[in-house]
Amino acid sequence: MNMDAGTLARPEQETRELSYAEAIREAMDIALAADERVVLMGEDIGVYGGAFQVTGDLVHKYGTDRVIDTPISELGGAGVAVGAAMTGLRPIFEFQFSDFATLAMEQIVNQAAKVRYMLGGAVSVPVVMRMPAGSGTGAAAQHSQSLEAWFAHVPGLKVVQPSTPEDAKGLLLAALEDPDPVLIFEHKLLYKMKGEVPAGHYLTPIGKAAIRRKGTDLTIVATSIMVHKALEAAQTLAGEGIEAEVVDLRTIRPIDRETVLGSVRKTSRLLCVYEGVKTLGIGAEISAMVAESDAFDYLDAPIVRLGGAECPIPYNPDLERAAVPQVPDILQAARALAGERV
Amino acid sequence: MPVEVIMPKVDMDMASGRIAVWHVEAGARVEKSEALFDIETDKAAMEVESPASGTLHHVIAEAGSEVAIGQPVAWIYADGEAVGPRPDGTAGGTNDDHGPQASASDDGMSGKARPPAPSSPEEPAKRTPEPAPSGVGSALPAALSHAVPPRGTLPRATPKARRLARDNGLEIAAIDGNGPRGRIQAGDVARHLEALSRPETASAAPLHWSPEAGPLSVLRSGKGDKTPIVLLHGFASDGASWAPLLASLPTGHPVYRIELPSHGRSPRRRIASFAELVRDMRQAFDGLGLQQAHLVGHSLGGAVAAALADTRARRIASLTLFNPAGLGPEINGPALAGIARATRAESLAPWLKLLPADEETITSNYVRSVMLARADPALRAAQADLAGHLFPDGVQAFSIAAALDRIELPTRIIWGKRDRIIPWSHALRAPGRISLNLFENAGHLPHIELAGQIGILFADMK
Repeated sequence: MNMDAGTLARPEQETRELSYAEAIREAMDIALAADERVVLMGEDIGVYGGAFQVTGDLVHKYGTDRVIDTPISELGGAGVAVGAAMTGLRPIFEFQFSDFATLAMEQIVNQAAKVRYMLGGAVSVPVVMRMPAGSGTGAAAQHSQSLEAWFAHVPGLKVVQPSTPEDAKGLLLAALEDPDPVLIFEHKLLYKMKGEVPAGHYLTPIGKAAIRRKGTDLTIVATSIMVHKALEAAQTLAGEGIEAEVVDLRTIRPIDRETVLGSVRKTSRLLCVYEGVKTLGIGAEISAMVAESDAFDYLDAPIVRLGGAECPIPYNPDLERAAVPQVPDILQAARALAGERV
Repeated sequence: MPVEVIMPKVDMDMASGRIAVWHVEAGARVEKSEALFDIETDKAAMEVESPASGTLHHVIAEAGSEVAIGQPVAWIYADGEAVGPRPDGTAGGTNDDHGPQASASDDGMSGKARPPAPSSPEEPAKRTPEPAPSGVGSALPAALSHAVPPRGTLPRATPKARRLARDNGLEIAAIDGNGPRGRIQAGDVARHLEALSRPETASAAPLHWSPEAGPLSVLRSGKGDKTPIVLLHGFASDGASWAPLLASLPTGHPVYRIELPSHGRSPRRRIASFAELVRDMRQAFDGLGLQQAHLVGHSLGGAVAAALADTRARRIASLTLFNPAGLGPEINGPALAGIARATRAESLAPWLKLLPADEETITSNYVRSVMLARADPALRAAQADLAGHLFPDGVQAFSIAAALDRIELPTRIIWGKRDRIIPWSHALRAPGRISLNLFENAGHLPHIELAGQIGILFADMK
């Protein structure tokens, strides 16, 4: 996979193979060591190491003053994190499951996203929130959602979805340098995925998509784990003479218009693939963005969206898989789209 | 009240359909779901089933006539129902051979009060003042009936096609759309521009030949009472090309080889589209009067076979397509043109050598015999003319993709992977339920190159 797109400040950096979870932990380790304002907060992130073992043993290295277990109250924990950010710290708040961010909507949507605007820029909220998201773990309807589009609807928030270990680290470090609240949606199935990760400090720019595979016949704009499914499909399609360009959106607020529109101008065909529920999701935004732009005049086929089914994520594993786009779905949609070539 | 039979909408951008043939005569009995008539649109041909059981009357649209979507073409009266004047209130049908008076007196029920008319949901709104929920009389699946309004004056075109047309000062309406549902795509505009840039080539070869009447030639062989096999050869070929495979087919099947128009011993015809070709071939197939047949086609004949199977599904036991055309745009245009044009063995040989995987199989004797069979300049001109319509600019201008999507018969595609006429990868575009047999060591003629091996694929044919 082409990992070179859009990453700054690592011209000759050494890389190692790390898992996605290890890359996030390394980013937090680097930040904790470099900046004493950085603190980790969340439920069971201390001795237990986090619901998905992402914080791991950082509590032993930095102590309980900087790796802080919060009570089982998302509203309270997130409120403390937002307040700490307003008063000078750089908190990284972990939700056990992004589904539980629904309990903290007041703090995220009404406070974190609004404070800088409402106080005329006098105060900003440089909080980072980590959101384990997505289905595929058999954890059923209340622990498997993809709610990123909810938050991307709120001006004042930034929302990113790293798909690779390299970006998971680079985007977390970039989020810490951002003056505004940044929500990072980490797909739970990606935590164990391995990939080359540069050592040391580097930034993956927020608001910049990456072209993971170049192609000429159609553009697949995908997010998070769907990037990997799209790449797998693209491999198969290449054997059939269909060259798909795969765009990893990486940030869904603000969206990288230029990369998406440029790709669509080139291929004239657009397929959006995302795990969140299809209706009023990321694909709707991408589609509308293309339709409203000059790239519209380059479309040679109707836009196609593949998103999550219009239902809660089922517990039954077969139904759970069927509820979100899979590789065969992408293949079918891409073939139909590319088959519209005459 | 008789059940109205209307012209159904079978294609999204269809405004009207042509009735190709009635399967039931006026005054005859028909069962619900039985084939009533065939329709043809620009792109498709299909059987329309009877919406009800009863007797067909007031056939106001004869075979060959063009009828707007949703308009009535005939009415079906239930058993014992009095046949009155035409229910749409118009006097006199064009083909109403069972006049109202005669029928009414036949059953003696003239003047009997009728219940209020249930109206079909497919009727145009203006004709249904009181929509009834339980409408019968639909000749089309419900899913298709929710009409897309009839196509207006604006052609269907993609934004990219419109931009290209605009940038090149073209009227979009002047361009033929070959995309899904007739949509004009960028490629159509590009082809149109290309055609404009060399306007003289089409008429550059004014070879004189006249169309001939008469049925298509059918070569018969094989005896037995098993299901007959019908073979359709490819472009610039003829019925004799099946000879190697005949020896490998299981015994006990009567075999019919239909020769394409302007090919072999078939009359020369002016055929301006794939649909016309299929219509001609369908007539020949219907003329065989077979209840059931295994249908086998090669290349262009494969595309025709798929189109036939789409409209004659009930009479086809299985479908086998060798290197079929119609699954993608690419085709070796120069080779087709070269074969159609060649006037002597020397100019024919290089093109013939592209057909098999192994050029050595094309001996000089073989080339001479092919040239001999193509000695008639009128036949070559008619074939070149046909190629111009089916493969304009070296592109396959027709598609069997939709037909294959609909076909539910046991279907097999056989392809030589060293095909230099049509890319074998087109086979991968077929729906998954279609079996693929890909041969590494064959080119465009697997039925000849590997006749022995391929016979095995037909071994379990009943």
